[in-house]
Amino acid sequence: MSSGDEELAKDLGPLAALTIGVGTMIGAGIFVLPGEAVAKAGSLAVAAFVVGGVIAMFTALSASELGTAMPKSGGAYFYVNHALGPLFGSVAGWANWLGLAFASAFYMVGFGQYIQRIIGVTGTIGSGLFSVQYVTLIALAGGAFFVGINYIGAKETGRLQNIIVIILVAILAVFTFVGALQADLSNLPANKGYTPMLATTGIIFVSYLGFVQITSVAEEIKNPGKNLPRAVIGSVALVTAIYALVLFVMSASLKSGFIEGIGENQIAVVQVADQLLGPLGAVAMLFGGLLATASSANASILASSRINFAMGRDKIVSPDLNEVHPRFSTPYKSIAITGGLILLFIAGGDVIGNVIEGSDPVILLSGAASYLHLVIYGLLNIALIVMRVADPDDYQPDFRVPLYPITPILGAILSFALIYYIDPPVIIFGSTIVGLAVLWYVFYARTRTTKQGILSQYILDRSEEMPDSAVSAAASVQPDGGEYKVMVPLANPEHETDLITLASAIAKQRGGSVEAVHIVTVPDQTALQYGADHVTDLDTESEALLDRARDDAKTFGVEVETSTIISHESFEEIFDTARTHEADLVVMGWGTDSHGSPGRAESAMDEVMEDVPCDFLVLRDRGFDPSKILLPTAGGPDSDLSAEIANLLATEYDSEIRLLHVGDTEAEAQSFLESWADEHDLDDVELIAATGDVEEAIEGAARDSTMVIIGATERGLLERLVSGSLVMDVADDVDCSVLLAEQARKRSIWQRLFG
Amino acid sequence: MGELFEKILVPVASREDAKATAAALAGYDAADIVTVHVIEKAGGAIDKAGVEQRELEAAEIFDVFEESLERSVETKITYGTDVAEAIFDVAHDVGASSIVITPRGGSRWIRLLTGDVALSLVTESDLPVVVLPDDGGAVEDGMSGEEPTDMEGVEDE
Repeated sequence: MSSGDEELAKDLGPLAALTIGVGTMIGAGIFVLPGEAVAKAGSLAVAAFVVGGVIAMFTALSASELGTAMPKSGGAYFYVNHALGPLFGSVAGWANWLGLAFASAFYMVGFGQYIQRIIGVTGTIGSGLFSVQYVTLIALAGGAFFVGINYIGAKETGRLQNIIVIILVAILAVFTFVGALQADLSNLPANKGYTPMLATTGIIFVSYLGFVQITSVAEEIKNPGKNLPRAVIGSVALVTAIYALVLFVMSASLKSGFIEGIGENQIAVVQVADQLLGPLGAVAMLFGGLLATASSANASILASSRINFAMGRDKIVSPDLNEVHPRFSTPYKSIAITGGLILLFIAGGDVIGNVIEGSDPVILLSGAASYLHLVIYGLLNIALIVMRVADPDDYQPDFRVPLYPITPILGAILSFALIYYIDPPVIIFGSTIVGLAVLWYVFYARTRTTKQGILSQYILDRSEEMPDSAVSAAASVQPDGGEYKVMVPLANPEHETDLITLASAIAKQRGGSVEAVHIVTVPDQTALQYGADHVTDLDTESEALLDRARDDAKTFGVEVETSTIISHESFEEIFDTARTHEADLVVMGWGTDSHGSPGRAESAMDEVMEDVPCDFLVLRDRGFDPSKILLPTAGGPDSDLSAEIANLLATEYDSEIRLLHVGDTEAEAQSFLESWADEHDLDDVELIAATGDVEEAIEGAARDSTMVIIGATERGLLERLVSGSLVMDVADDVDCSVLLAEQARKRSIWQRLFG
Repeated sequence: MGELFEKILVPVASREDAKATAAALAGYDAADIVTVHVIEKAGGAIDKAGVEQRELEAAEIFDVFEESLERSVETKITYGTDVAEAIFDVAHDVGASSIVITPRGGSRWIRLLTGDVALSLVTESDLPVVVLPDDGGAVEDGMSGEEPTDMEGVEDE
């Protein structure tokens, strides 16, 4: 594909980009909420909109910088996920997706009010809890219609956007001009104070959601370096000015109390237009309201499918959602689900309106949309700070936020602070969604997504300088992506090849990778920093050792990473490193000269038993030869792991496997072995049913084996093992290599986060 | 057929289309095959799906095509508001001797909604356009959730 072709993909000019923002925002602010705002904030309604615009502007600046640096599908979600990692990415993605669905539901209820006003029906169908407002029915029908259009993907709707926005701005310009002529400051309603004003900002903030949708189509904008910031910042500036002017005209051109006196089923902006411009004005406003709410909903539905796509690409949600319709070429699954949510929210708003006295569905829906977007805006500003601090090489924004770091810090604080002024029930509801998004990450996305945030990379790369709590928090929420990682701590060069060979064979069978870590122990009195500076002096072999490890792993075609760690205590370090690297399996050597002083071997093994962060294989190395494997078993989880390893090695090396069980009678041992072999997919193995002394039986059978694999805490072997004697005896007495398997004691995510 | 099949341009719209077209091509001996997928642009408005998303889909479609055809071919992604026109542009760029399609079928209603690209290709082309009969086998086990395909679709016009 030539770059010329790629240019064709970018067909949104500056005006089109601007109208996406303006078109999405203007629908809500002007045509649905002004009556509410004036009633609640009095003369400060104008200020409430301006405050909202200022808060939005801080975020618009941050979104512009991030958008020019990463013009990718998915916008706000993508930036947060990229910078802060998939935990926050999950929150931002769900907040953005559901926030748009709530906003669309809200626009559709507004749309319903306009249709209702035009056709002149009011009230409800049915009675009591089973009654449905006409507005809701119209909103549901409208919602279904716009979802349907996007499901089919009629390209004409998109083109209408420019025309609609121009018509709307024209209608509002006439309205403002005529109104301004009649404006009289003495008409302004009473000042109701700053708390109601901020509460009003919380309600009307839904009017400032559109600009961030521009970033979600950033990849389609021509010359995004220039046009994206202009469109994002310009649309916020433009709608803030329009809102302020329209609100001022509405409050000042008619005598005080007019707006408060407008009936339940009337629309404030239409009534004011009727007074100022006559019936023609009212009709123009009604028409404008229809277009505005429809275009807002349409743009939001389209934007939400981009966010869905980006989430699916990062496997935060199932990539199956991204399937493109074979005939319509639309992301029909994600549009259908979003559409279902919108209809659910419209109906839900009506139900809650029935159940809870005095609650207004419009305010509930707009509040939920505002809350979720404020969360995203806060995270977006933090994402910008993280990108600036970490400053990765590929971060080259064409637009830079002025007055950094004040702008994004204020943006984050103001966005989060405004949440405080939203209706308390909405806050609880929104917080529940955020909480569910976190759980979603922990239980669903974490094992699927592979993308690591810039933030956690930054922290983990500097794990020595950062506070321990930050490092372990960053490590514990890292995605593991389901890839199998085998970590090999290396100490004694002599065993390097055998350990890496074993690890690579397993990694190869599991389709995973190997991580070789050279752990350099320095005496306690040496400062770690000194050690790090003098790593070559302390262990000249480090480089050579890891080079060899790399070569050995490569012979298996397994991906390998290497690193060196300086530590006072090599054994504890293995545990910590296994945790921070999210290893699935650690393959380590164990002998008189590995990882710590000989006297510590036993206590070290005890520690392995206590709390293992992942599966462990400990090799007592007497030459790596897996041709004849002896697998003594008494059942239990650790021998499950030994069976698995034996199986993997057999696949790689075509090994001969013999199972050994010591029972009370040979018949009992035989039947145990048969069922155990069957359970563990070990077919074509030789079974040795023995009685008597366990140790002797193992040692006897080991004589014509090349490798013994023992689970660390076999039932029946347990007591002896705890004292260390059996392992020590077997490991010392047999002539072949002994592989000790210990399965992970899974700690819950909760414990890892807070334990 | 000779020269007509010297270098053919095969537009593929979906995985199902790729499979059907590859199956239809099986009996013909084309020397050089270039396959193209057009990403339809709204031309100054938000697209119905993200460009990146449809580029990924295009790669999938090409995979299906090559797999069904059991050979690798040159692939091209292009962008345009008019799908037929975009295909003609590519045909001229690569010096194709003909454009080869299979009828995608679909009811009149569907064609009305999505625009009838096959018709435009046949009526507006300045290159030979070969319409291969769709053997039908591929459609049945194609994508699920599709309306029954009206095989006579194109001939109806």
